[in-house]
Amino acid sequence: MLIVGYFFLFPIFRLVYVSFMSNEHTFTFSNFETAFKDPYRTGFLNSIKIGIFSAAIAAIPGAVAAYFIETRGSSKLRRTIAVMSGVLANTGGIPLAFMFYAALGIQGKLTQFIKFLGWDIYAGQFSLGSFVGLLIVYLYFQLPLMVIVFSPAIVSLRKEWSEAARNLGANQFNYWMRIGIPLLFPSFIASFLLLFASGFSAYATANALTVGNLPLTPLQIGGLLDGNVSASQLNLGKALGVVMIVISALAVIPYLVIQRRSARWQKL
Amino acid sequence: MTSKNLSLNGIFKQFGNVRALDNFNLEVGVGELVALLGPSGCGKTTALRVVAGLEHQDSGKVLVGNQDISNIPAHKRNMGMVFQAYSLFPNLTVEENVAFGLQMRKISKPLRLKKAHQLLDLVGLDSQSKRFTHQLSGGQQQRVALARALAFEPEILLLDEPLSALDAQVRVNLREEIRRLQLSLGTTTLFVTHDQEEAMAISDRVGVMNQGVLEQIDTPDILYNKPASSFVAGFVGTMNKIPAFINDGFVEIFGEKVVALKQGNETGKVLALIRPEAIKVSTTGSKFNAKVLTRSFMGASSNVICQTSDGTIVQSLMTSAATGDLHPGSEVQLQILSKEVLVTNV
Amino acid sequence: MAKAMKLRQQFPLVITLLLLTLFVFIPMISAFEYSIRTPLEGGYGWTHYLWAIREEEFFHYIFRSGWLAGVTVLITLIILVPTMTWLHVSKSPVRPVIDGISLLPLVIPVVAFAVGAQISFPEFVQNTVFELPFLYFVLSLPYAYRSLDIGLNSIPLKTITEAARSSGANWIKTISTVIIPVIRSSVMATIALTFALSIGEYTLTVLLHWDTFPTWVTYVAQDNILGAIAISMMSLIIPFLILTTITLFIPERSIQGRK
Repeated sequence: MLIVGYFFLFPIFRLVYVSFMSNEHTFTFSNFETAFKDPYRTGFLNSIKIGIFSAAIAAIPGAVAAYFIETRGSSKLRRTIAVMSGVLANTGGIPLAFMFYAALGIQGKLTQFIKFLGWDIYAGQFSLGSFVGLLIVYLYFQLPLMVIVFSPAIVSLRKEWSEAARNLGANQFNYWMRIGIPLLFPSFIASFLLLFASGFSAYATANALTVGNLPLTPLQIGGLLDGNVSASQLNLGKALGVVMIVISALAVIPYLVIQRRSARWQKL
Repeated sequence: MTSKNLSLNGIFKQFGNVRALDNFNLEVGVGELVALLGPSGCGKTTALRVVAGLEHQDSGKVLVGNQDISNIPAHKRNMGMVFQAYSLFPNLTVEENVAFGLQMRKISKPLRLKKAHQLLDLVGLDSQSKRFTHQLSGGQQQRVALARALAFEPEILLLDEPLSALDAQVRVNLREEIRRLQLSLGTTTLFVTHDQEEAMAISDRVGVMNQGVLEQIDTPDILYNKPASSFVAGFVGTMNKIPAFINDGFVEIFGEKVVALKQGNETGKVLALIRPEAIKVSTTGSKFNAKVLTRSFMGASSNVICQTSDGTIVQSLMTSAATGDLHPGSEVQLQILSKEVLVTNV
Repeated sequence: MAKAMKLRQQFPLVITLLLLTLFVFIPMISAFEYSIRTPLEGGYGWTHYLWAIREEEFFHYIFRSGWLAGVTVLITLIILVPTMTWLHVSKSPVRPVIDGISLLPLVIPVVAFAVGAQISFPEFVQNTVFELPFLYFVLSLPYAYRSLDIGLNSIPLKTITEAARSSGANWIKTISTVIIPVIRSSVMATIALTFALSIGEYTLTVLLHWDTFPTWVTYVAQDNILGAIAISMMSLIIPFLILTTITLFIPERSIQGRK
């Protein structure tokens, strides 16, 4: 048992260990210095921004959708949505890029439809590879992800609580203000954090859409690992990777902590 | 706020194909504690929820103090409800939970906390007032729920199987506490349960329900001694059902002729309904008509289960002293002690 | 009266579902429409799909990805099921630590993981068939672990294991004949998750210069965009349909029943 248990820890530990080795191997912090200067600095800022914004626009619709699905949907509907969300949340890269080119690209069906209604979305600076464009595309997998991550919180809102509240004189508004929202809030924030991490780290989709025009950290790292990798490139890549891990950890670890704490009343 | 009386008139409620309440009528007097008793699915909880406004009846009226509240939404009805479990708000402390009803009625914070503490004191949990739900035991949680339901002095108190999720000993203690509180506050109370012992122990009257219909509603004594149907007879306490034959208004039980009390127009083959304590088992005498199957010692009394020669299982309740030398296989004589028995159709 | 109330209740749900459906399906249908265009003949046809299937590398890569995914699933099951069973049964204090570790891959962005993998592997299992599956295993660990964890929690594990062992089964037998059937739905979910993740994994694969189905599609896109679109559509829609059908037709089995 122990051998088997140990076995799978191995790759992970090696990885974490080695990522930190980037410090020693370069003898200086020069790689980290480079990492914080342009263009990498912009890359980080953009990635963080994309993480925050894509999470923000998916969070509330996702939460609301999850609420209605879990509280009013039939068992079959809920299961189907769960599966579909699972598939959709993992959609990315080329297939996703294709779908959006087909719909919202310059020749896209939806673009044409909207043009017909009087609005040319390409009149200005818009393109799918721009920041706004990416946000729209990211929504495609962020929204299902929100539904998946937030649904358990909705499910654990016991019917008894809303009934007891009504019985004690609370109308819907009161219930939500005093009971519903306070209970859901931590999970909501936690889900938001996870969505941030997802948007921040997305590689395949960004790669397919921006073709190098938008500085994003995942893409920059990808660039460094492309082709024949030189030592200095690799070290810079390591540095960038470490920073990515730190930023991601700053989001995901609070997420995990919040989930643990919420589990207390969710299991009640 | 003084308590009022409660009436349900002609309530119908259907869920899909199931008729949960079928022309259901009920009157609860001011300050009365009435229990609704019955097996799962009989409609008792539905009736309670209709009163609370959590379900809306298909037709019929609910009146409180002779005022029709049928169309008043749940949160405007002045009733306190205790649920089976899990009803305390997990994000509020115990005292905030209890004060919640008052908070909704816009009572100021100092006043409502004072009242909350009053009630927590009544249920003996004032020391826990700053704690949270998950830190309390099941029994404590239900006592808090009770305090919460009574804090704003509701006109009616509703209890939905409040003790079902608790341990046996806690159940017994808590039901006494509920009764005490209810009597001292004089609150009209409707109490739903599937545990007949519980219902009989603390209620002024008990209504037995079956498949959406109220079969009988009476004081515990009458219910026990004069069950109106074989369902009620079988549900309340233990009842022997012995096959017999009506002859001229009499049936013969264990060789003795007793008056047959008919409910309707039973004739011919019937079942005689006899309580265990009305049957005597003895080893003396000449006519052995049964064999002992088991004897269960329960302290002062013992349950003796016998089988007659035609295969009927008969249960008798006797003192342990009188049945000390009975064991499986003993030959015994069964005798009926009462002069009349209820009969019902087979 | 009751019917009106029910409708009022369902209204927000219907709107939500409508909006979601639009959002999800408009891009899909647009892309699908694209993929069945035949620019040479005008009008519509299945040319691209047929072309894709006839491309010799199509099946080669599908099998490759499928094979890699399959190996990953195997590794996952072989490592996780015994380990987790043991963890649950023995109530080991190590368990919270392992719980935490299982979530580590969530924290580490795949890109960063790729960097690390690039460096640390050369001496380990470099370039063998096993490299990718192990990495995929690590990537799918959070989901697989959680899925099995939920399953193991929902059964009276200790009791079952003791019953099996006292009836004479050794560990392997206990796991295979008693435990796995009981947590079957969890195991199925784990297999599905791991498989889907491994087949679709792109980032890590491409950064480590491996060739699998997803990377091949990218490659194809450079020459034959419509063909690539057709392939992408298939790779999206087919699993989608399969999973949805399975969900709709498998009755929900609850081993515990009601509490």
